[in-house]
Amino acid sequence: MHASGRDMNQNPQQEQAPAWLEDDRLLQAHKLAALGELSAGLAHEINNPLAVIRQEAELLGELLVPGILERFPDGQDIQDSLREIIRQVDRCKSITHNLLNYARKNDPIIQAVDVNEIVEDMVRLVEKEAKCRNILLTRDYQRDLPLVFTDAPQLRQVMLNLLNNAIQSITGRGEVAVSTRRGGPSNLEVRIRDTGCGIAPEYLERIFDPFFTTKSPGQGTGLGLSISQKIVARLGGTIRVQSALGQGSTFTVTLPINETGSNHA
Amino acid sequence: MSDIRVLIVDDEVDFLETIVKRLQDRGFIAKGAENGEQALDYLQHNTVDTVILDVKMPGMDGLQVLQTIKLRWPLVEVIMLTGHASVESGIQGMQLGAFDYVMKPARLDDLLQKIRQAVERKKLQEEKIHRAQNQ
Ligand SMILES: Nc1ncnc2c1ncn2[C@@H]1O[C@H](COP(=O)(O)OP(=O)(O)OP(=O)(O)O)[C@@H](O)[C@H]1O
Ligand SMILES: [Mg+2]
Repeated sequence: MHASGRDMNQNPQQEQAPAWLEDDRLLQAHKLAALGELSAGLAHEINNPLAVIRQEAELLGELLVPGILERFPDGQDIQDSLREIIRQVDRCKSITHNLLNYARKNDPIIQAVDVNEIVEDMVRLVEKEAKCRNILLTRDYQRDLPLVFTDAPQLRQVMLNLLNNAIQSITGRGEVAVSTRRGGPSNLEVRIRDTGCGIAPEYLERIFDPFFTTKSPGQGTGLGLSISQKIVARLGGTIRVQSALGQGSTFTVTLPINETGSNHA
Repeated sequence: MSDIRVLIVDDEVDFLETIVKRLQDRGFIAKGAENGEQALDYLQHNTVDTVILDVKMPGMDGLQVLQTIKLRWPLVEVIMLTGHASVESGIQGMQLGAFDYVMKPARLDDLLQKIRQAVERKKLQEEKIHRAQNQ
């Protein structure tokens, strides 16, 4: 469901979540980002003392040669205790491992990717819903595109968000045209064009803002484009938009081919 | 290809048995689970590289299982299988960290390709963490 251009002008208060709500969500987003940084720092800091503890415990174990232990009444207990220390240190290590992983969740993992395949997979996912809404989905993929070194699931997320927006922009019949092509010597373009409601010029520069939405509450959180833009930027690309109110919109994602894929963050 | 460990979760037992067998025939260490609870229990006691997860199941649904997997075993990659695609669930799943969404019925070759990519991603991720931890 999408508000028409006129509706948007009549209900300017609907374009954004109420200030208190937005604050809360922003706070939440900042908190999560801060938590990510904090946990990465924490994990690094804790890893070093953990390594020392483990090493000392192992050393102690070696020093307490069986001969010595037998002279203590609690020799076996001492050995058990040392083993337990090492076990618990390993447990802590797996916790820091997870923390580091959490912090790196958004870090792209770079693989060789067939962009046509990713786009087509996501198109197929929205095809049924498009059909139900009388929307014609057309494809025009340039063949023999080079593989792109990028993060596959993150790119899928972007494609789904853009396709979803395109479909939601159409009330009644309409068309969503998806195409790929070589954009230049070092990049590819994915284009998603719709014949939907279009975007008012005064909103064009705000659509990538977090929580900016013209959809009714419950229909949209206004995060799709801001997440997508962040992802594409991280992948070294851009998202451009052209739109005419009442006629439709075209979103173009440009991705670098990155012939030497590298995973060093 | 020989030591890739795949867990397939689907409540359609016939489908499950067939795909487990076909994966095993191709050298995968494949295991089936009939629901989310069983899958989580298996993951608790076994190491798995990739989970193939049906979106729609009685009991815990696919998205719930996905969320739990990514929380407890974040390195395990999950490929979602869906019969009736809902865009909403697709977006949610990708946001929860799914590797891919595949429409049923999927061609086995396509699925194999995706499993390989998912496993490669897991390896890359592990190497990255290893580097970060040894900095
Ligand atoms: N293809 C499009 N046609 C017309 N308007 C669009 C299109 N894509 C985005 N917009 C406008 O940009 C706004 C922000 O889009 P975005 O995807 O960020 O959020 P949303 O779709 O409203 O909600 P969410 O994606 O979180 O469900 C939309 O509310 C809509 O006004
Ligand atoms: Mg959206």
